[in-house]
Amino acid sequence: MENQKSVIKVEKISKTYGAGESAVMAVKEASFEIFKGETVALLGPSGSGKTTLITMIGCITEPTGGKLFLDGKIIYDNGWKIHDTRQLRREKIGFIFQSHNLIPFLNVEENVTLVPIMNGLSDEIAKNKAKELLDYLGVGDKLHVKPSQLSGGQSQRVAIARSLANNPKIILADEPTAALDGERALSVMQLLKKLAKEQDVAIVVVTHDDRMIPLFDKIIRVNDGYITKE
Amino acid sequence: MINLAQRDIAHSLGKFLTTATGVGMLLGVVLIMIGVYRGLVDDASILLKDTRADLWIVQQDTLGPFAESSRIHEDIKHQIKLFKGVKDVSAVTFQSLQLYRNATPIRVFAIGYDIGSFYTPHLLAEGRSIIASHFEIVVDAKTGFKLGEHITIGRDIFTVVGITRDAVSSSGDFMVYFSLPDAQKIQFLSSNEQIRNDRARGGAQEATTSTANAIIATLHDGFDPKEVAQEIERWKHIKVFTQSEQLDILTKNLVERSSKQIGLFTLILLLVASVIISLIIYTMTMGKIKEIAILKLIGAPNATIIKMIVQQSVWLGILAFIAGNIFSHGVVDLFPKRTILITSDALALLVIVICVSIAGSLFGVKSALKVDPASAIGG
Repeated sequence: MENQKSVIKVEKISKTYGAGESAVMAVKEASFEIFKGETVALLGPSGSGKTTLITMIGCITEPTGGKLFLDGKIIYDNGWKIHDTRQLRREKIGFIFQSHNLIPFLNVEENVTLVPIMNGLSDEIAKNKAKELLDYLGVGDKLHVKPSQLSGGQSQRVAIARSLANNPKIILADEPTAALDGERALSVMQLLKKLAKEQDVAIVVVTHDDRMIPLFDKIIRVNDGYITKE
Repeated sequence: MINLAQRDIAHSLGKFLTTATGVGMLLGVVLIMIGVYRGLVDDASILLKDTRADLWIVQQDTLGPFAESSRIHEDIKHQIKLFKGVKDVSAVTFQSLQLYRNATPIRVFAIGYDIGSFYTPHLLAEGRSIIASHFEIVVDAKTGFKLGEHITIGRDIFTVVGITRDAVSSSGDFMVYFSLPDAQKIQFLSSNEQIRNDRARGGAQEATTSTANAIIATLHDGFDPKEVAQEIERWKHIKVFTQSEQLDILTKNLVERSSKQIGLFTLILLLVASVIISLIIYTMTMGKIKEIAILKLIGAPNATIIKMIVQQSVWLGILAFIAGNIFSHGVVDLFPKRTILITSDALALLVIVICVSIAGSLFGVKSALKVDPASAIGG
């Protein structure tokens, strides 16, 4: 891994909410690197700062200190935003949520093609890509179905397809198996692991499920805003 | 590009159409109010337009016969006709009457005219105009009387020989037409008891029916109505108005305040509709906060989100406008007074509705832009 190019690099990244006496430091000078094809688990108790950390990596929450590099480019530098983070998210990051969070008024195909089309891909190419991904994930027959007609497992597979549709450098998953039973949760995690290797995409997963730990290349433990073990 | 607004509308089409219908009914009321205003103004001028006169000769120092009462000797018409440029004249009388049909009172505005003159009820739709000097009447269709029906007025019985459509007075009463002698008799002839009473009081006057409320005249081509009017006024102790001056008196003196009242009410109604549209769009946007957060999280530009909200808002406005038109055209005939729905008013309302929809969506847009994409994470 050391010879590989890092997808995410954080250096003494911090996040403080509020100011003065009521200020709360959610993440305290965290530093780590994540490489291509790597699967990383972000573990820690509730309120430890995992979500803040993943939202900073996902260029959603602005750090108040430290540096964040994405795909070799500096994004935040000691509180300064260097790039258009919305565009970065669209082009380089895929998201998977605890409850699939598909757009309810779009069908499966539209949910998957939305981001690639916003990135300038033609409708036809985006549809072909979506079909390919959905077939690969075993939900290719649900192209024109609305999310409300899918089962939990099918929805999460569609969400995975959506996260991959823009050829991201990194996929951030917030408890993607929380709404699934044990067998399906394991199946989804194995699928993510397989995708990371095949698509050469880094995957960071926030999870509470210790059973999944053996599936990850790296574990980052967060406690009270500090990274306690990497 | 996927049209998010279209997809969202299609997803909850029933709810969207119901909302649009509700707003549409409100817009329909706005259209009807504009129609009532149009009807009021148009009603005020129907009688004038129907006469097709160029000049109105009335009692001196009055604004008669509509704004003020006017009495004038009928025989003046013969002198008026001799003026250079005058083509034809007719003495006319106007009065409000109450007729009865199957014991139901019907308020009408009666016009008496010289049957041999240029004047004839131009709004005649069925039957014929009056040709006999007595006991024939032309009525408007909305009075309910039919051709050949008999109407008793005082001691006389009249036969309906013609039916007009949309003939109403400036106050909206249906018009009926009599020959001049019949109308004069109804208006000016005193009853026997009244004549006896007047004699007993020592002030008895000869009962005369040779009075009219006005003389109307047409001019030969090429004559300026104002110049002829001045010439008549110079020689006779009377007041002469051109058709356009008479129209001004009617619209300014009689319907201006009513018009302002209706105009103000329409404006308030439009404001209420605007507030409601804004609230609906705001509520619709708030109902999509989660989806907006997801869109922002996956990198949708603000322009995409704004477009979705504004498009939905404009579509709501357009659908409401269509519903409003259907509603207003469906109920317009139920109104007792004439309500005129015209395309230009509807198009003006459409422009206003689109502007209001866009303005109303701005509150929703403002809230949508404040949504934190991080709120899509977890739960």
